Amino acid sequence: MQRQWSDTSRAYAMNAPAMAAILLLVAYPIGYSFWVSLHRDNLAQPALRRFIGLDNYLGLLSDPAFLTSLGVSALFVLLVVGVTVVLGLALALVLNETFLGRGVLRSLVLLPWAMPGVVNGLMWRTVFDAKTGALNGVLLQLGLIDSYQAFLASTTGAFVFTAMAQVWNTLPFAVILLLAGLTTIPNELYDAATVDRAGLLQRFREVTLPWLLHPLLIVLILETMNAFRAFDTIYVLTGGGPGDATATVALLTVQRVLTYTDVGLGSAYAWVITLITLVVSIAYVGLLYRRGSFEV
Amino acid sequence: MTRHQITRRTLLSAAAAVPLLAACGRGGGSSDGTVRFEGWDYESQLVQQNLDGFMAKNPDVKVAYTPITSAQYVRKVVAEFTGKNGPDALYVYDDSLATWVESGYLQPLDGLPGVDEVYNGIYAANAQAMTYKDKRYGLPYYTDSTGLIYNAAILERAGIKAPPKSLDELEAQSITIRAAGLIQYPIAFAAQLQDTWASWLWALMYGSGGSMFADDLTPTLAGADPVPLAVYEWIHKAATVSKIIDPASLQLTPVPLDNAMMAGQYAFNLGSRYALRVYNDPAKSKAAGAMKLAQVPSLDGAVHGTVANTRMYGLAAETQVKDKAMVLLNFLGGHTDGQPQTARFWFLQRGLGFTFKDMAKDKEITDALAKWVDPATYAALADVAKARNIVQAPWYAEFEAALQKTSQQILTDQITPQATTTTLADTATTLKKKYS
Amino acid sequence: MSTIPLRYRIPWKKIVVTVLAIVFGLYLVLPFYWIVAMSLSYEPDVYTVPPHWIPSPATLDNYVSFVDPTGAQALVGSRAVAETPYALGNSMIVATATALLNLVLGVFAAYSFSRLRFRGSGVLLMVYLITRMVPGIAIIIPFYLLMRELDLLDTYWALILSYTSFALPVTIWVLKDFFRAVPRELEDAARVDRCGWFRTMWSVVLPISAPGLVAAAVFSFMTAWNEFMFALFLTSSTASKTMPVIAANFATDLNTQFTVMAASGVLAVLPPLVLVLIFQRLIVQGMAAGSVKG
Repeated sequence: MQRQWSDTSRAYAMNAPAMAAILLLVAYPIGYSFWVSLHRDNLAQPALRRFIGLDNYLGLLSDPAFLTSLGVSALFVLLVVGVTVVLGLALALVLNETFLGRGVLRSLVLLPWAMPGVVNGLMWRTVFDAKTGALNGVLLQLGLIDSYQAFLASTTGAFVFTAMAQVWNTLPFAVILLLAGLTTIPNELYDAATVDRAGLLQRFREVTLPWLLHPLLIVLILETMNAFRAFDTIYVLTGGGPGDATATVALLTVQRVLTYTDVGLGSAYAWVITLITLVVSIAYVGLLYRRGSFEV
Repeated sequence: MTRHQITRRTLLSAAAAVPLLAACGRGGGSSDGTVRFEGWDYESQLVQQNLDGFMAKNPDVKVAYTPITSAQYVRKVVAEFTGKNGPDALYVYDDSLATWVESGYLQPLDGLPGVDEVYNGIYAANAQAMTYKDKRYGLPYYTDSTGLIYNAAILERAGIKAPPKSLDELEAQSITIRAAGLIQYPIAFAAQLQDTWASWLWALMYGSGGSMFADDLTPTLAGADPVPLAVYEWIHKAATVSKIIDPASLQLTPVPLDNAMMAGQYAFNLGSRYALRVYNDPAKSKAAGAMKLAQVPSLDGAVHGTVANTRMYGLAAETQVKDKAMVLLNFLGGHTDGQPQTARFWFLQRGLGFTFKDMAKDKEITDALAKWVDPATYAALADVAKARNIVQAPWYAEFEAALQKTSQQILTDQITPQATTTTLADTATTLKKKYS
Repeated sequence: MSTIPLRYRIPWKKIVVTVLAIVFGLYLVLPFYWIVAMSLSYEPDVYTVPPHWIPSPATLDNYVSFVDPTGAQALVGSRAVAETPYALGNSMIVATATALLNLVLGVFAAYSFSRLRFRGSGVLLMVYLITRMVPGIAIIIPFYLLMRELDLLDTYWALILSYTSFALPVTIWVLKDFFRAVPRELEDAARVDRCGWFRTMWSVVLPISAPGLVAAAVFSFMTAWNEFMFALFLTSSTASKTMPVIAANFATDLNTQFTVMAASGVLAVLPPLVLVLIFQRLIVQGMAAGSVKG
């Protein structure tokens, strides 16, 4: 067969439609938003619009509300991703075993994924409700509490319960990826380990874990990205409160852009999120690359 | 609604247009003379019904009405105007007016037909709310003031004959109600963080004659005005010492709070007057007939005041159909055949408050009122109601967010009343500087 | 050497696995069960303390009200109820179109990454991924302006194009990984038969990679189905409003009953749920193939 085009040009030709869709649509808004972040720009004060370079970003270093929200976000991401990975791994391991009803459980795992963030938030709002919530009902009937609690009214409560609502919504994705990774591990490796009389934990550490590093990397990157940007569930559940206990950077950004119409500073907030996500992803890749399990 | 196919030409022209996008824009309104009208989706069926009647009487004015979900109304309208896609006539909240005028979305109505008549006949607080920098921008949709809503049946069971006049009385009555074993937390507020104003807090402030800001928008919170600190001290005490305010308030939004009041779960609430129409509706409320209105309890029990809000109809700055839109605006917010027809319509249908002073003397109105509230109290609240001056500041939205945040903190004992007033005053000063 | 006879050995692992399976099952299902129960109840029964775990009396009125908004169970003034069937349809169309468009565009791009070595491949891949790192809020206003210029506001295409651009990066990533897992010998065999690269892809690679295609399609379907912010801004009428927007309406609509809101929540979940149930096995397989080390 004649090679009319080099591999490179053919590759770019094949990428052209995807590139068009992504870059044409998204590149302009992304560039525009970065440009706006270099301005003092509030839609309600068009006369005061002017270029200020990096002042928006530098101002963030001394903005107490922003710094607090960074802390809240960091903690939130840590909690959500941590619990998701642990639960996800446990559930994936369970689903990898054969037992009665495995098919059913595998189907159920996908249930939370089918729920839009807004619906998820509303659902958990009714479950956590202080007056008529199902959680209160269950705990009361099990005798674990004396009277109905206002879970979302305390700072710790609001934070933890919001994080758990987010975990529930995002767990299926982690489980699928991890389960998929588990199913590719050749059985011979397990058999060899059993012959060597390796215990359960040892088998996990020496056989399972290395094979899981690749899917784990993808899970970590994507779940971190999502957790940093999580908005719908938190907004519906607590609106950022009480006080600023659940006011993550994502929430602050939306508030600043849409409620205060301060698009200049709001875009700067958003780009900080982007930067942090990028740095964290690179860190993940670096960490796991050394285990030789990452390739482009 | 037509669906556009993406043709190659459209795509290419889009690509070419990308660098010019920032400068491009078309004027608002459509080219066929239809008036584009948008509002939040409260009773959109009734709105349409009213508009159909209007179009029947004015065949040369076509109105295309698009309701927008309330929680997103402000954002969507801002996005539309920013994209040069705004409506010709629209609802405007009193606390959006200042920013929308400054952003160039609205045009003043001074000198346009019918406007003077309207302003001559409405309460001062409403006129003030619709005026910005001495220009008038709206015709009134509805207004309401906040009062104390109490469940008379519960009070009676606790042996209380009359509603509280002062905050101390309110506290005492609540403690009595709890001691009688009726309700553990007799008071609740809709204190979840929201994009709308925390009316209960403003009502408490204005109820005692305070306003937190001087008319030149400098904060009087921390010093010049003694009311805010005293009110915060009462709130703090009520929440943390007497424990009469439900901690679940932090989770409450207006609709669940209404449901709870109607189920008799609380004895006291600070709410809009028109809520009583639903509270006393036997088809919807278990507490029907027992819900009553009173003045907002004040610090000393003698002063009476409250806060009013106004929702208005505005005219877009870049509308191409100004005259037709004005006809619509006059029908909605002004007089038709000498009467404020739409205002009457909204009052009789849903109990929405009216801004026209004459309507308070109208027999039909007072008869309708008597069915669900005491007309004297209703009118008394309107007489003492004031508009908030701070909504005229461009930084009002940020301040409101800080206000709600600190109120949550004070309800959960994370901040002292003194620190609250200081923080808020500092915030106001910082914001003023930042926005200048 | 263990001397305990087989029949006496306690199957610890099986017990732990079963217990965990049950616990996880409950964790996944119970919250959703609560919403379903609410949607089948009458409004006053929902506020009881302690809660009625099983709706009794049960009713389908809440679901009926979607098809018959002005009927016997009329919830006066509730526009969100009347718009729900339209929103369901819109969501189905937008999500399906997004999935299909993603497949078409993604397959070509992914194939290039998996089979061809070319300059800048790493960079291009990173660029795709980085476009996903910018939060939607940063680009919503310029996006709105763009759609306005293209006259696409309140149409399906605005959403389809947006969601395609959101889902493509991950689609390409996933697809390229398991295209690579297709054994080279099969492709070489096809080449020997003098198939061009397109036919090779079409008749050899794609059929083998079916699970991965399904996985990528489901992922983009879900991305489109669940998205809220762009749907909110880019749509305004039943011509294109999607389910998440309607669900949000319910939360603030002053006339809404919670039972109806719950019913809409159930409807918002059902179609994608049915979809993933049907393709459940293929999804896991597809993700598996994508994770195989090259």
